[in-house]
Amino acid sequence: MGGLVQKVKLFGEYIPWFQAMRDKGAITFDELGLPTPKTEAWKYTKLRDLNTDDLVIEPSNFLSEMRVTAEEACGCHHEDGGCGCHHHHGKGCCCGHHHEEGDCHCHEEGHVCECRQKLQVPFDAYVIHFEKGKMIPPFPDFPRGVEVMNLMEAVITEDAKEYLGKVADIKLHPFAALNNAYMEEGIYLCVHKNVKVDKPIVLINHTKSGEENIFFNIRNLIVLEQGAEAEFVEWYNYTGAVKSRYFANLVNEIVLGKNAKLSHYKLQDEAFKANHIALSVVKQKADSNYHNFCLQRGANIGRNEVKVLLNDENASAEVNAAYIMSGWATLDTTTDILHLSPRTYSSQLVKGVVGGEAKGVFQGKIHIAQDAVQTEGKQLHRALLLSDTAEIDVKPELEIFADDVKCSHGAASGELDENQLFYMQSRGIGREEAKQILIDAYLNEALAKVKNPEIRAWLSDYAHAPQE
Amino acid sequence: MSKTPLLEIEDLYARVADKEIIKGFNLTINEGEVHAIMGPNGAGKSTLSNVICGKPGYEITSGSIRFKGKDLTKMSAEDRAREGIFLCMQYPVEIPGVAVTTFLKHSINAVRKYHNLPELDTMEFVKMVREEGKKLGIDNEMIKRPVNVGFSGGEKKRLETLQMNILKPSFAILDEADSGLDVDALKVVAEGMNALRDGKRSMLIITHYQRLLEYVVPDFVHVYADGHIVKSGDKTLAAEIEKDGYAEYTRER
Ligand SMILES: Nc1ncnc2c1ncn2[C@@H]1O[C@H](COP(=O)(O)OP(=O)(O)O)[C@@H](O)[C@H]1O
Ligand SMILES: [Mg+2]
Repeated sequence: MGGLVQKVKLFGEYIPWFQAMRDKGAITFDELGLPTPKTEAWKYTKLRDLNTDDLVIEPSNFLSEMRVTAEEACGCHHEDGGCGCHHHHGKGCCCGHHHEEGDCHCHEEGHVCECRQKLQVPFDAYVIHFEKGKMIPPFPDFPRGVEVMNLMEAVITEDAKEYLGKVADIKLHPFAALNNAYMEEGIYLCVHKNVKVDKPIVLINHTKSGEENIFFNIRNLIVLEQGAEAEFVEWYNYTGAVKSRYFANLVNEIVLGKNAKLSHYKLQDEAFKANHIALSVVKQKADSNYHNFCLQRGANIGRNEVKVLLNDENASAEVNAAYIMSGWATLDTTTDILHLSPRTYSSQLVKGVVGGEAKGVFQGKIHIAQDAVQTEGKQLHRALLLSDTAEIDVKPELEIFADDVKCSHGAASGELDENQLFYMQSRGIGREEAKQILIDAYLNEALAKVKNPEIRAWLSDYAHAPQE
Repeated sequence: MSKTPLLEIEDLYARVADKEIIKGFNLTINEGEVHAIMGPNGAGKSTLSNVICGKPGYEITSGSIRFKGKDLTKMSAEDRAREGIFLCMQYPVEIPGVAVTTFLKHSINAVRKYHNLPELDTMEFVKMVREEGKKLGIDNEMIKRPVNVGFSGGEKKRLETLQMNILKPSFAILDEADSGLDVDALKVVAEGMNALRDGKRSMLIITHYQRLLEYVVPDFVHVYADGHIVKSGDKTLAAEIEKDGYAEYTRER
C-alpha cells in the first residue's frame, strides 16, 4: 500500500477535538483531491511528477518505543545531548541515525555525532532536530517565557487548542487538509508577553532515506503573544539519498499578537528528486511585524506558499524570497497578502535564477479590502534565465477594493549581460566564474533583505549558482 | 638592438553583426613601444580593440593576430587577459551588486592563478589597492561601491587605470581613455599610463584627439580610416591631424 492516503495509526486518537480535525482533514482532502492544471492556485506547478504511488508513511514514533526522552536514550551522555548508541541500549542513536555495529564513536570523550555536526547552523541558536519528519529529542533548554513542546504534548495539555487548525483554512489548501489528516509531528512554540527570545530557534529536518520513499507531514504552531519577539528558522536538508523521492508536506500556523515581531527564515535544500510543499499562514494583530525570507534551492517540485492576514491596523509584513535551480526542477513561490484593516503595510521582493530545463513559478497576490484605506502593498519579482530551456511563469494579482492606497507590482526576467561578462573576462576572470559573480550579485539584492546578518551570511552560502 | 615583436596583426579582416568593419589591417608593435591610432568616429577603432581582446560576436574572417608569438584568435577572452593584454574600455561596464574590491580581487587572483602564483591574501590585496588607488585619487569609499555604477566619466576612467596598474599588463590598449575627462583627470590617467612604461611594456592608444598624446608621447602614430591604416608617422602626425582633421583620409568613402 502506498500513496498520499494511507491508513496509519497515529497517537492521540482518543482526544476528540483533535481527532475531529484529522478526520475533517481526511474528508476535505478526499473532496478536494490533488490540484490539477485547472486549479487556479496551481496553474503553473504541475503535479504529475509527484509520484505518490510508492510513498511510505513510517509508523508513529509516539506509539512505538522509539520516542524516548534524552535521558532514556542514553545514560552515557556527554555534552550536547550525547549519542544513544544502539549497541548499548538497543535503541537508535538519538542523532537519528542507526549506526552499523562499530560505526558509532559516540562514547569517545567529547564526541558529537558526526551527522549532528554537519547539521549545526553556524550561528548561536536553539536547535530542534527532526529526522524524516519526526522530532528527535532532546529539546534545547529554552529561557523563561519561551514555551516549546512537541505538538502532541501541546495537544494533550490543550495549549495548542486555541489556534491549532484555526489559522490555515484547509478548504482552500488541499495539501494542508492532507497535513491535518496526519497531524502528529511538529512543534508548538509560544513566546510569552513581551518576551524577546535571545537566539534564533532553528528547526532542522534532515532526511536520509534509503530505498523507500518516505511521506511525512510536519505541523508547527507558533504563537507570539503581545510584544513578544522571536526568530524562527526552518532548514530542510538531506544527506546521501540524492535520488530519494521522499515527500515533505508542511504547514506552519503562525499567530502574532499585538506589537509582536517574528522573523521567519527558511532554507529549502531538499534532495533533487524529493518534493516539498509548504504552506505558512500568518495572522497578525495590530502593530505586529512579520519578516519572512525563504531560499529554495533543492527538490523536484518545491513550493513555498505564504499567506499573511494583516487583520489589524498598522500590522506589517515583508515577504521576501530567492530561488536558484537547474535540472528539471519546478520551484514555486506563492504569496497571498491580505490587507484587511486600514494602514497595513506589505512588501515583497522575490528573485530567482533558473537554469537547465527548470521552471520558476511566482504567484503573488495582494488583496486590499474595502476598508483597508491608506494601505501600502508592493511586490517585485525578478528572474534570471541561464538557458534557453529554462522557464519562468509569473502571475501577479492585485485585488484592490479600497481607495487611497499605494500599491505597486512589477516583474521582469532577463539573461546574463554579455557586456558584463566580457568586461570581467577582459580582466582575466574566467567566464564561468564571471557568471557566478553576476548570479551572486543578482541574488544578493534579495538576500540583503534578511535582517539578521549571521543568518544572511549562512543563507548566502547556499545561494550559489546551480551546477549545470 | 634587435626588436622583439609583441603584437603582430597581419592582413586582418573582421566583421560584427554581418558588417565588415576591419579590412586589411596590418600592424606590428614591438616590446616597449607606444603606438597611437587616430581615426574618425565610426572608423572601427573600438572594433579593432574588441577583436584583439576576443569579445564574443566579433568574427575574424581572415588574417592573423599573434601575441608573444602565440595565435591569439584561438584563445578565450580571459586567457588573452591572463597572457597580459589589457583593454581600457571606452565605455566601462556597470556591474550592479558587485563591489569594486570584490571585482578586483577576483581579477588579480584569476590572473595570478593562471601564472601559478598563490592568491593574494586579503591584507596584501588591500594594501596594494590602497597604494595604487591613492596615486589615482581613488579613495576607500569608491572601491566599496558597485563597479562603475553611478561613477562619473572621470571616475570610470580612473578605475580602468587602477585595474591596469594592478594587473600590470605587458600590452595595454587604451580606447579613448581621454574621452569625457577634464584636464586634471586627464593628467592623473596619463600619469597612470606613464607609470607602466618601462621599456618593455607596450601600449596602443586609441584616440581621435591629440590631447592625451601630449601627456603620453607615442613612438608611432597611425591614421586609421575605413578599416585599415592609411598613414603612419611619428608624433608630428598627431599634430598634423589635430590641425587638418581627417577629411583628407576619409574623402574616398
Ligand atoms: N556590436 C556591434 N553591432 C553592430 N554594429 C557594430 C557593433 N560594434 C561596432 N559596430 C559598427 O562598427 C562601426 C565601427 O564602430 P567602432 O568600432 O565603435 O568605431 P570607432 O571606435 O572607431 O568610433 C560602426 O559603424 C558601428 O556602428
Ligand atoms: Mg570607439
